[in-house]
Amino acid sequence: MSATNVGPELRAETAPAQPKGAVLEATGLTRRYGDLAAVDGLDLSVHPGEIYCLLGPNGAGKTTTINLFLGFVAPTSGSARVGGLDVATHPLETKHHLAYIPEQVMLYRNLTGVENLEYFATLAGKGALPRTDLLRILGEAGLPAVAAERRVGTYSKGMRQRVGIAIAIAKGAEALLLDEPTSGLDPKASNEFSALLDGMRQRGVAVLMATHDLFRAKENGTRVGIMRHGRLVVEMTTAELGHADLERVYLDHMRD
Amino acid sequence: MIGHIARKELAELVRDGRFRWAAAIVAGLLLVSAGAGWTRYRDVSAQHAAAAAATRAHWLGQGEKNPHSAAHYGIYAFKPRLPLSFLDQGVDEFAGTTVWLEAHRQNDFMMRPAQDATAAQRFGNATAAGVLQLLVPLLVVLLAFGAFAGEREQGTLRQTLALGVSRTQVAWGKALGIAGALALLLVPAALLGAAALLLGSAGAVAPTFGRGAVLVAVYLAYFGVFLAVSLAVSARASSSRLALLVLLGFWAVNGLIAPRVAVDLSKRLDPAPTAFEFARAIQAELSEPMDVARLEREVLDQYGVETLDALPVNFAGIRLQASEEHGDVVFDRHYGALWDAFGRQSRTHEAIGALSPLLAVRALSMGLAGTDVEQHRHFAAAAEAYRRSLVKAMNDDLAFSSVGVAAYAAGPELWESVPAFTYEAPRLASVLGSRTMSLIVLGLWVLGSLLVAAGAVRRAPVD
Repeated sequence: MSATNVGPELRAETAPAQPKGAVLEATGLTRRYGDLAAVDGLDLSVHPGEIYCLLGPNGAGKTTTINLFLGFVAPTSGSARVGGLDVATHPLETKHHLAYIPEQVMLYRNLTGVENLEYFATLAGKGALPRTDLLRILGEAGLPAVAAERRVGTYSKGMRQRVGIAIAIAKGAEALLLDEPTSGLDPKASNEFSALLDGMRQRGVAVLMATHDLFRAKENGTRVGIMRHGRLVVEMTTAELGHADLERVYLDHMRD
Repeated sequence: MIGHIARKELAELVRDGRFRWAAAIVAGLLLVSAGAGWTRYRDVSAQHAAAAAATRAHWLGQGEKNPHSAAHYGIYAFKPRLPLSFLDQGVDEFAGTTVWLEAHRQNDFMMRPAQDATAAQRFGNATAAGVLQLLVPLLVVLLAFGAFAGEREQGTLRQTLALGVSRTQVAWGKALGIAGALALLLVPAALLGAAALLLGSAGAVAPTFGRGAVLVAVYLAYFGVFLAVSLAVSARASSSRLALLVLLGFWAVNGLIAPRVAVDLSKRLDPAPTAFEFARAIQAELSEPMDVARLEREVLDQYGVETLDALPVNFAGIRLQASEEHGDVVFDRHYGALWDAFGRQSRTHEAIGALSPLLAVRALSMGLAGTDVEQHRHFAAAAEAYRRSLVKAMNDDLAFSSVGVAAYAAGPELWESVPAFTYEAPRLASVLGSRTMSLIVLGLWVLGSLLVAAGAVRRAPVD
């Protein structure tokens, strides 16, 4: 097994040290649609081993920020950098550092969980992983082998999220972009997902998570940023906050 | 990367019950129509061979008689079917493959412009060419309309592109996957066809395989055009439903509307006479009396004598041949004009291929199968040349061998001096040379659709 085709947990012995600087970095990042600024002068950085939770109401610019890091939306001004590379000028290379888990992890319904992982891991440049490795990675992500052999069409949302995490693990991503990943999950599944996320953090992955879930933000996040009208209006470490404090701060910034 | 996307696409398609049903229907129709075409080719070829032998035997065994009576006795000529005609019967079924050769008359092939039939009519005929020209493209559309639009709706396109895969790689992977699914259907059919050609062809198989190879390339190009157009539309359509609607519209224009427009336009630009008008015009000219007195003077002058009785030849034979040549001029003028009109109509069809690749493919398919109007004309010209040589041999014999004989009758030696009718179809280079316009049009469709697909895919939205 080579160090290039396994997840970060197995690469740790041979892989070079994680980059010391920010893996995800936005500088004056702006995206306008006509007169509307979806993201307005955003400055933000996420370092290895950090979970940055981006809070804000609908339309605050959270998903647009994720899309700017993915290169799916071009910035009007400013820059989004991944692993030190500008997304606008290196749209494909920067994605090699990333894994992305949307609110609904979308997979191919006619393929099994393990076939989906094999497909996406290969597209991510991991080569052909042995089936045992694929099943092990899915197991790490919390998907038992019996379920992994079933077609994804039969999966719950939580199971699809686990495949999404497995893709990130298999890819050995340095950064994870999450867009409302726990929305619609029951408390147990949400709790299990949080544990998986914490595992990714401990492996040194830089996580940027857009969420409405203040509780999860406080539980999982190392830093929290609150966006409104495309601007980052406050940023703080969660260690400094209790649950009540985060809710108060959030609501304070939502008032006109 | 591309291969991996292609394998996934193929696996998904194969597991999709809709593809299995559609492919089974198309494969069934292809098999039935090709099988029926092959049976017809084999039966007609055997019947032609038997009838050609019989008509030759009748000619040789007609006994002693006046040579001019033998010229009226006549002979049949049969257009040999090329093996590939089992795929595309072209105009043969309508224009006929048999002509009666006799004195004084260039008999009609039934010049009904089957080439003008709409694709829907051709579908009704259930030829393998119809299945390949109409149903396989429809299958391509059904396989490819969701390539981008469907993945966009499912969210898997976003998932895929987020991995650092380019849209162009996705498109190539999709194209190869769909091509692989089509290959599951078409490769066995092609192998069956090749085996049938190998086992069932009379004579050399190399020319047939040469034509067959070009025919395969033509159809692959045609399917490639549909695949590229489908990917382009799918890449840009806001929904898979819209993509399907647009592509079905393209399919209908290509297969149903453009051929109809081509027929109407070509007829309007280059009208051909009806069969009745054509026959009446020829008859009117033929009924004009020949200047026999002038012919007499010329012949007497030629031989330096004063009376017909003093001629060293039988003037009746000379007069019959002159009458024949007088008729030939009339036939050449009218048939030439008719063939030219069909030729211009054919070129109009090919030019309208700019709107519909089907028109170019249809012209090439019929040409390569040896069943188009041009090759019908080629055969008709060969048959007519044979008729004229036969009649001239009879008239010459009457003119030069019956001098002073009251009731002259020729025998088997004369009949045997006329060789049996043989015909060699045009070579591949000649066929392609006559279809340059269609080749160019199809090439432009391939190039244009690839460029459009490349541009559309590069700008394909993620959501």
